[in-house]
Amino acid sequence: MTTVSNLETDRRRFLAGATLFALVTGVSLPLTACNEAADNPRHRALADMASTIVIPRTDTAGAAETGVGAFVVLGLAHGLEESRKPVEESAPALKAHLRADGSLDQMAWLAAELDKRAGGDVMKLAPARQQALIAALDAEAYAEGVRAHPWRTIKALILTGYYTSEAGASKELKYEHVPGRWDPDVPLKLGDRSFSSDWTAVEFG
Amino acid sequence: MMAEDSMDFDAIVVGSGITGGWAAKELTEAGLKVLMIERGRKIEHQADYVTEMKMPWDMPFRGAGDRALYAKDFSVQMLNRHFNEFTQNHFVNDRENPFTTPEGEAFNWFRSYQLGGRSLTWGRQSYRWSDYDFDANRRDGHGTDWPIRYADVARWYDKVEDFIGVAGMAEGLPQLPDGRFLPPFELNVVEKAAREKIKARWPERVVTSGRVANLTQAKEAEGRGQCQSRSICARGCSYGAYFSTQSSTLPAAMKTGRLTVLTDAVVEAIEHDPKTGRATGVRYLDSGKGTRGTARAKLVFLNAGAFNSVHVLLNSATDAMPNGLANASGVLGTHIMDHANTLSAIALMPGFEDHTTFGNRPNGAIIPRYRNLDVMDGVGHTRGYSYQGGALQSGWTRGKREAGIGADFKKKLREVGDWRMVFVAFAECLPRAENRLTLNRKVKDANGLPVLDISLNFGKEERAALAQAKADAAEMLTHAGGKVIMGFDQPGVAGTAIHEMGGARMGNDPKTSVLNKWSQAHDVPNLFVTDGAQMSSSACQNPSLTYMALTARACDAAVSMLREGKL
Repeated sequence: MTTVSNLETDRRRFLAGATLFALVTGVSLPLTACNEAADNPRHRALADMASTIVIPRTDTAGAAETGVGAFVVLGLAHGLEESRKPVEESAPALKAHLRADGSLDQMAWLAAELDKRAGGDVMKLAPARQQALIAALDAEAYAEGVRAHPWRTIKALILTGYYTSEAGASKELKYEHVPGRWDPDVPLKLGDRSFSSDWTAVEFG
Repeated sequence: MMAEDSMDFDAIVVGSGITGGWAAKELTEAGLKVLMIERGRKIEHQADYVTEMKMPWDMPFRGAGDRALYAKDFSVQMLNRHFNEFTQNHFVNDRENPFTTPEGEAFNWFRSYQLGGRSLTWGRQSYRWSDYDFDANRRDGHGTDWPIRYADVARWYDKVEDFIGVAGMAEGLPQLPDGRFLPPFELNVVEKAAREKIKARWPERVVTSGRVANLTQAKEAEGRGQCQSRSICARGCSYGAYFSTQSSTLPAAMKTGRLTVLTDAVVEAIEHDPKTGRATGVRYLDSGKGTRGTARAKLVFLNAGAFNSVHVLLNSATDAMPNGLANASGVLGTHIMDHANTLSAIALMPGFEDHTTFGNRPNGAIIPRYRNLDVMDGVGHTRGYSYQGGALQSGWTRGKREAGIGADFKKKLREVGDWRMVFVAFAECLPRAENRLTLNRKVKDANGLPVLDISLNFGKEERAALAQAKADAAEMLTHAGGKVIMGFDQPGVAGTAIHEMGGARMGNDPKTSVLNKWSQAHDVPNLFVTDGAQMSSSACQNPSLTYMALTARACDAAVSMLREGKL
């Protein structure tokens, strides 16, 4: 049995163990089930572009620097944010981009949608123009009465990718793995950073 | 690992979860040589909590997990609020562990097949039951009368709380007796305000801190540290700050030197000698080696988890007892229950914009039952409901629901969002004969055993209770200054509350119950079932503390009977 005074020593031992576990089992990004997107460099570049427009570099890192594009592509392929749910009513614009399982290939849709609006390859547009196109898409996706929209799925993964990255979670926001105490009432000032490690907020907020 | 045929013990404990651990502790401390047999893998305290110190960015799916894999292998478990990428190794693979439901029905069976069972993943809510609960069946005539009352269990609650450590606020409520509490996790600023406003209008409705088996003070003698307010308990806690088999009962049992633990061994049946009418031991399958073995003992404690304990008894049928062991009554498997559970209300709580909290409290706020106590004021139902929930602030995830891009959007998401308060209702489930477990002989599990068929449907009483709970919740939150944004009155799929219980109910009459007041099988004197299977009614508060108290009580009785030569 471990005594309380040994806990810090033990904690370090577990951290070492965890690192070993990571090396042995491989915490690298799994590549199963995401053939269509993971090996599509254009989708990856598009995801980086879109995610950086949503979360640009400010006094902290932006989305592309933290690998959000790759995470978005991975997450879409693996059903995060219900991305592999079969599309119910498929509008013609979506129908062209369904996967074999009836779900929407969101990155293929995004590429086609942005190219159409750009009147050509969206990746060749000036950043300001790309931003305007994404802003318009975002406004449409969250317009009153819209229940579901593929951009919402993509944006949700951009936010997840960013705020769970080391920079997003612990520099842009605050991250405390071992708070050590519960304080039920703390003064809050304008501009205070929230905790990305507030799991209740992450889950229910 | 020992797996030789015919091991001999004083007692066998089947299962290593919340009650199995307690049985092992109590029986070994009473001097018995005990085998604890667990179907799942070994998980060593601390060393095997492999994700405990991982950050989201260490994980391939950032904590959300591989939903494509979950849809295939964890289609039920993924619905558990404690299930995520960090904790998935503490839940069963649904595909490899099948069960069935009748056509058109559903059941969410949350399971953890491993040393420690669901004690590693439980919600840690720890409440006493009162005589409103133990008297419930007698009072309204549903189910069979409990053969025990609060006075029979009170000192066992004391013993359990003293050992496991329960943080809570004493409130002096007869319907939710106070325990021997550690200091509570305080209500947050919004909950405190709601408590005062609600109490002023409805003195019988008490917003209080959830009573939770997390240590607000270290238990040095047991090597358990204080809760660090991480609220990632289901990953496993190296501090030993919440009650689990690993942190608490297992080390106590090991210390006696009289416990043998056998993991990866699925008990197929309890063996029974028709000449003596006694259980002689268990037959098990070593799932790693694929070999079978038996273990013999004077005493068998069945603690496999409510439905699995019933499953073992049904599977223990012989030609002489075709309906299963300890089932002369024919009620084995019947009267199963789970709390009918739904989100009654969620409200925005303005006025606290300059307040926040620090740390992650491992519990929430509750409102104990206040209906159908001394005045029958339930509309369309005769039992109770209680709420769990609390006030919280939204974080970055709210951005998924909001329009916006760019630096301004990022700046906005840097700050906490609105305060909101939620009440989730748990309505008491009536014990009904038609809600039952049976063997499905058409479907076999990986070990060739017939799987369990689970039929559990809520009735009009539970629905009526949830309708009233929804109306009350909206009224209370509005009165507390909130703006209600949604609420529901339809129960989630049965099993959702993870309080599945019953199937081997206690009762006075051997013709209508499986167990007597000592959790002892009427038909098999040296067989005790002390997990959720023994429950005759469901109350409307979490049942685990009661399972533990009844286990400690049954162990004491069994040891006395053994010493007196009555078994």
